[in-house]
Amino acid sequence: MATEKEQELLEKLANGVVNYDEEAVKEAAQEWLALGLDPNKAVFDGLVKGMQECGRLYEEQEYFVPELLMCADALYAGLDILRPHMKSEDVGVRGQVVMGVVQGDVHDIGKNLVKVMFEAAGFTVHDLGRDVPLEKFVEEQLRTDSEIVALSAMMTTTMVGMKNIIKAIKEKNPKAKIMIGGAPVTEDIAAKFGADGYAKDASNALKDAINMISSLRDLT
Amino acid sequence: MERGFELMTMTSRERVLGLFEGKEVDRIACYSGMGNVTTAALEQLGYRFPEIHGDAQKMAAAGASSYHLFGYECAVIPWDMCVEAEALGCVMNAYEDVAHLLYPTIKEKIIHAPEDMSKVTIPPDYPERGRFPVVMEALGAIKKEIGNEVAVGTWLLGPFTLAGQIMDLNDLFKLVFKKPAEVNALLDTLADGLIMVAKKYKEAGADYITIREMGAPTDVLSPRSFKQVIKPHLEKIFSQIDSPKILHICGDTNLIIGMMNECGADAISVETKNDLVKSREVIGPEPLLFGKIDGYNVLVNGTPEDVERAVLESIEGGVDAVWPACDIWPTAPLSNLRAMVETVKKYGAEKWARKNR
Repeated sequence: MATEKEQELLEKLANGVVNYDEEAVKEAAQEWLALGLDPNKAVFDGLVKGMQECGRLYEEQEYFVPELLMCADALYAGLDILRPHMKSEDVGVRGQVVMGVVQGDVHDIGKNLVKVMFEAAGFTVHDLGRDVPLEKFVEEQLRTDSEIVALSAMMTTTMVGMKNIIKAIKEKNPKAKIMIGGAPVTEDIAAKFGADGYAKDASNALKDAINMISSLRDLT
Repeated sequence: MERGFELMTMTSRERVLGLFEGKEVDRIACYSGMGNVTTAALEQLGYRFPEIHGDAQKMAAAGASSYHLFGYECAVIPWDMCVEAEALGCVMNAYEDVAHLLYPTIKEKIIHAPEDMSKVTIPPDYPERGRFPVVMEALGAIKKEIGNEVAVGTWLLGPFTLAGQIMDLNDLFKLVFKKPAEVNALLDTLADGLIMVAKKYKEAGADYITIREMGAPTDVLSPRSFKQVIKPHLEKIFSQIDSPKILHICGDTNLIIGMMNECGADAISVETKNDLVKSREVIGPEPLLFGKIDGYNVLVNGTPEDVERAVLESIEGGVDAVWPACDIWPTAPLSNLRAMVETVKKYGAEKWARKNR
């Protein structure tokens, strides 16, 4: 059970993210650590909870991309303080993810928002950036043996390239799970391209990723 | 009878431009304000996609190809979103070495920090820089070849989308919130440059111009931001460029369709996500509304039957021109593109709300 003080700080963290108030988030994170409390809890029940609320506000068309970017900055402000104190064995789900925006596309906002969620959830993120050639995804997956490869495309004109990347990765490593996302991507396209998951937004991407990793672990 | 005969023999050009002039035209036209080159055309011409962006003769041939191949009622150039940014000093990547088809992107921007925003100026010879002269030469060549038969179109980015090409998009979005005055100052400058180029494009042979403010749908920006930082600059542009002029915005636009209609364009173009019926409820029956055939999911992945269904859905939704929601993805099979044109020919008079009210 969270004490009243804990509860207050968790709310301050979550609200700080929602209101893109970096200062409030930093204060709450520092106070949390000063009290010797579990940093994982602050991340999951504070920062991530706040970001999920931002996702909801985006769906409701109350928040838009500029707001989400500022919320993500606030989340990072907290994460930078809390992360050095997190012990990796305490993190519930761990895994590695290779992510990037496919070649021809220089829009990385969606990818960055998904990355925030993965980092907050304790994943090791291998971020290839934007305008990433096909081979790069394949090489990086093999090099890091990541369970998940997340591909993003903002434009139809580049989404088409995902199909080849998926095929190439699956040929080299059939166990790797591939999720795709971005404005033009739909569930139908994900199925057609042979992706394992399709993420409508950052918080769905995270949920999907956690499910994928659990299913991979069940197999082994 | 006589008038009927006159309408029967309308050329695509008369049909497209007549609507803007308020003349009675025989049916809805099937054309576009955006890119519509096909891989079928490129194969026939023996060109690779990266070569057609910088060579006026190839650009003209590729631009005229959709009319020749499937009876599209226009010829539109260019295809890439880099022309305006390049002429300001950005560096383009045409992906010459990539085997599959990619649209060029900007690899080097000119604004590296928020402070650089106020340093951007439009050179007096802006329309003579970069590839603008190539586009203008190609417009002239197309006009000469098929200008009597079809309308020749071109397009420019809206100032906000152009700003996203010359600076980091993440920064731009945050600055919309944190420093709207600075963003507005930059966009005002960019609008001046776009107005200069639009005039030159018209002189070079463009019959109509589409302003594509792709970066500003409500998937991305709030209606409030649209009003604050997008609309004023579109209003300025449309008040200073010649008709016919069309405003296109991708993505979700139902929340801002009313404001789009106030920007001063002669027609509004929307994409697949727009609910046409709801749009008409807001803007009424009078404004020209164009759309919204999905250039990938329907035109590439669909069957001719899917295409016919999509065309009918747009017509029944109240459009005044059947055109794609964005660029036609070049691998679209000709059978689908022909089905699009044929369906419009078949139903474009009978089911056109404007004609039948």
